[in-house]
Amino acid sequence: MRSRSRTFVRPVRPLVPLASSLLVVLGWGVVAHNSGAGWVQALGDVVAGTLLLGMIGAAFVLVRTRLRVTSVPTDATAGQPCAIGVQSTSRVRLAPVHPPGPVCFVGPSGTPRPAVVPGTAPGDALTLLPRRRGVASSITVDVASAAPFGLMWWTRRLRLDLPSDLHIGPKMGPPVVLPRQEDDRSGDSAHRSPRDIGEPRGVRPYRPGDSRRWVHWPATAHSGELMVREMEGPTAEPVVVVVTLPPDEEAAESVAERAFGTLVALIDRGTSVFLTTTEAAGRRTDAVADRRSAGRRLARAVTPGGPGSARRTDHGIGAVAPAEPVAAPGILVTMADLRRSHHRVEGP
Amino acid sequence: MSLLDAVKRANRPGPPENSAPLRLACAGAVVTGIAACRAEGELSWAVALSSMVLVTVGMYFSYRTRARPIGWLKPLLALAAVAAFLWFFRQLTGQELYDVSTVEDPLAVLFVWIQVAHAFDVPARRDLAFSLAGSASLMAVAAAQAVDLGFGLYAVVWIGFGLWGLVRMWGSASDGGRIGGRGIVATVAAVLVLAVAVLTVLPAPQVAGRIDFPANSAGGAGLPGAGGLTGDAGRATEPARAGSSSGPTRVGGFLGFATHLDTALRGSLGNTVVMRVRAQRPSYWIGETFDTWDGESWKVPPKSSPIALYSGSPFPVPPAVDSPQVNDPPAGQSDLQTFYMAQSSPNLIFHADNAAEVWFPARNIYISGNDTIVSPIALGPGAIYTVRSVVDTPTAAQLEAVTGSPASTETPGQAKALRRDLQLPHPYGRVQALAERITATDKTTDAKVQALIAWIGAHTHYSTDIPPLPPGADTVDEFLFGNRTGFCEQISTAMAVMLRSIGIPAREAVGYVPGSYNPITDLYEVQGKDAHAWVQVWFPHYGWQSFDPTAVVPLANPSPGLTLVHDAAHALRQLPLVPLGVALAVAVVTALVIRRRRRRPATWAIAVARRMERAGGRAGRRRRPGETITEYASALDAMGGDTSGTWSALAWLVEASAYGQQEPSDEERRRAERISRTIRPDRRRAGDPRAPDLVGAATVTPAAVPAPRRGSPGPPPGDAGPSAGGDG
Repeated sequence: MRSRSRTFVRPVRPLVPLASSLLVVLGWGVVAHNSGAGWVQALGDVVAGTLLLGMIGAAFVLVRTRLRVTSVPTDATAGQPCAIGVQSTSRVRLAPVHPPGPVCFVGPSGTPRPAVVPGTAPGDALTLLPRRRGVASSITVDVASAAPFGLMWWTRRLRLDLPSDLHIGPKMGPPVVLPRQEDDRSGDSAHRSPRDIGEPRGVRPYRPGDSRRWVHWPATAHSGELMVREMEGPTAEPVVVVVTLPPDEEAAESVAERAFGTLVALIDRGTSVFLTTTEAAGRRTDAVADRRSAGRRLARAVTPGGPGSARRTDHGIGAVAPAEPVAAPGILVTMADLRRSHHRVEGP
Repeated sequence: MSLLDAVKRANRPGPPENSAPLRLACAGAVVTGIAACRAEGELSWAVALSSMVLVTVGMYFSYRTRARPIGWLKPLLALAAVAAFLWFFRQLTGQELYDVSTVEDPLAVLFVWIQVAHAFDVPARRDLAFSLAGSASLMAVAAAQAVDLGFGLYAVVWIGFGLWGLVRMWGSASDGGRIGGRGIVATVAAVLVLAVAVLTVLPAPQVAGRIDFPANSAGGAGLPGAGGLTGDAGRATEPARAGSSSGPTRVGGFLGFATHLDTALRGSLGNTVVMRVRAQRPSYWIGETFDTWDGESWKVPPKSSPIALYSGSPFPVPPAVDSPQVNDPPAGQSDLQTFYMAQSSPNLIFHADNAAEVWFPARNIYISGNDTIVSPIALGPGAIYTVRSVVDTPTAAQLEAVTGSPASTETPGQAKALRRDLQLPHPYGRVQALAERITATDKTTDAKVQALIAWIGAHTHYSTDIPPLPPGADTVDEFLFGNRTGFCEQISTAMAVMLRSIGIPAREAVGYVPGSYNPITDLYEVQGKDAHAWVQVWFPHYGWQSFDPTAVVPLANPSPGLTLVHDAAHALRQLPLVPLGVALAVAVVTALVIRRRRRRPATWAIAVARRMERAGGRAGRRRRPGETITEYASALDAMGGDTSGTWSALAWLVEASAYGQQEPSDEERRRAERISRTIRPDRRRAGDPRAPDLVGAATVTPAAVPAPRRGSPGPPPGDAGPSAGGDG
């Protein structure tokens, strides 16, 4: 996507360059006036033209500069650097505003730059340091240039559309205190590695309800009774994590971080997790199988509220959240069987 | 931030500059400035060469030590700069400020040594910028002395180094950024355009300072014979003598700068630049006047004793007329002229009318009886002097008011002197009768002069190709009653004799017309062919006033910008505009056609896809990179709220054509193009509360979309299918 302008170009700290140029021109004028020499005036005109171009040339360069985001990762983490590829038609200085990030230069240079993402068009890398989670479909940057002579800087603010949404997940926060697991399978470890879930574990007798595809024929022939393959299953019952974000942004960030830590802890011990959050389109409950999906869900989470209270993670226009009863902000970890104990963590 | 903090921050050393090309450019600019000063004679060879070497060495030393500057070096260099300043002031004190080299040369040396000292301590980009600015000061000092276009070579080289340095400065500030070839060309063009624009707008510089006006003897030797004329044959010390038909060629080909002006001789005026003049206004540069006419030649008075002025520079020139109006001219109306001799010249001090002061590099000058200012030294190439004239040209009304004869209004001494200017070798009966007939109805002197000028302009012809004067013939009789063809000498002599015949004092003046104006150097370039003769007429109370019967167009005070525009327009008029205009029009049209053809979509499918993108863009939904046309069309369908899938149907056609090699029929194509031009997605669905309803073909139905042909897979499910008229 190309850039969309929001503001006019404006000079950056113009006092010193303007004053210096004025002094040079005035000094030259004094020499010309006192000497009456034509060459002094002719050279002075060239000097004045050069200084004039140096003062205002960058403004024209900025107006004509076209910026384009060439590549963007799908996921990022708040507080962690995230590199996106940017192409510029001229050499400019970029200062990310939203999300923030360090200043860098992009555009044609004397040294070739490799592609930010292998296989994509070569371009420069712009590093973002998002402070908060969210979904970014565009970024805001301050573009500056002092071309062609570096005498005076001009800047303008641009919004660059991203080719795809960037999901910024929360940082890893301390998980809430999770309830102890009860496991009646003797000899089994209460903790299963998530990657083992779904792998063959052994054989057992057929029970009504088992799929016919699970029949283990060699074991059946050996034992004389119908035997089926047994897969690794989650060691614990599915857990529903309900995350309700408070209206305050800092508090919501804190809750999201703890929720992320909780989700990661549950996923790491093999628990099947369902996450309930409020998104722009409404309340959503869905399974999360890994950190990435957990981060994305939390990135899209918004504070529940009345109509029109859709949380805006970028400057785009989101859908209106449907009216729902507003739960208390916090993280609610609930076992699938409601008779089991559940643990509720209030938000800060 | 307090002021002290701001000063500290401003003086904080910057990061080391690693760009070698930037240092090369700065060093080149400084060396060019030194070379330019040397070319204008402001530096000796020893100073110029040694400073060039030291600047180069210093820049290299700074480059090598840029990351760790030597601490004790900066105070040492500061001491060197102070020493240079002390030397400069010592050079100025106790000097007589009558020679240009007294001030300009030490100033150039001072700037050079400052640059040399600075070159050893330029670790950062800011320091290199100061070097560039310093080179500009050197060029300014050299340009103040430049009088010809040869200085342009140094100017071009310096501008090249300067622009290169500035571009590299941006490259360094932008962490390796570069400007391509087209950008460089555009930058240079922009600088030149802006420079020409500033030159056009600004008026010509006029000298305002009175510290020191240029004067340089250029080593001219003293001349024997107090006040005598020399050098008219090109050898500065050879006494001037009357021209002859077989004599040597005079300076520039003019035979008049001597004790005689023989109107029977025909000179050969050339294009050699004799001198260059910087003046506040164009004037005729008077070299000499003659008041004794013998029928063929003008001569200086035989027993005239020139007056020697020993007051020192500037020399006050006594007024020609003891008259209140001339002795007390209105304040602020001075005309300064500086003459730069390009050839060995007669020892005449040229000047505009009413010279009042002369800055001359000698102990004395001479004023002859006929108001000619004579130099005591030979004037060779490089000699410079300055004259201040008083602009007291009376208006036409003032001259019209002058009546009465000179004898009735001037002092006895002046009246006696003016009798020489009424002298005639013999009675000019026919000339007098002619003059009286021409001026019969004119009562005032000015009216009579104007009437004679008008008559000469109407009844005579200017030509330099005239037959030689027959032996014994009178120049005026031959001109007025013979062929009536001649050049400035014959014309002005005839007018002077006619005026004298009716009792008006007149004399012959010889010198140069202003010459061609050079807008770059702001100098009038006087060539040999600019030599001229004209008439001076005496007006009571106003003195000698110049009239040129040869020229009828008054001189205009040029400005550099207007002169450039005028020269450019003149050059343009020489061009064959019609063929060039036709060729330019053809080229423009061809370029437009080629550009339009390049932008034209290569295929029908691309054209339709672009229309869809434009329509979606106007509705606020742009197509994302990597988004297929089908996905995009689905998004547009969702925006429009139209589940018939018109956009998707169009997208299907586009993809079938582009990738499925299934070109639609002409009818299908036309219908699809019509639909793509008219259909619009609903902006409201894109979240824009201002959006209107569906515009255009809001009632587009699936039937309006062309149905796929037999055998084609058909549009994807869920899109507008060929429910009517299809094979499915």
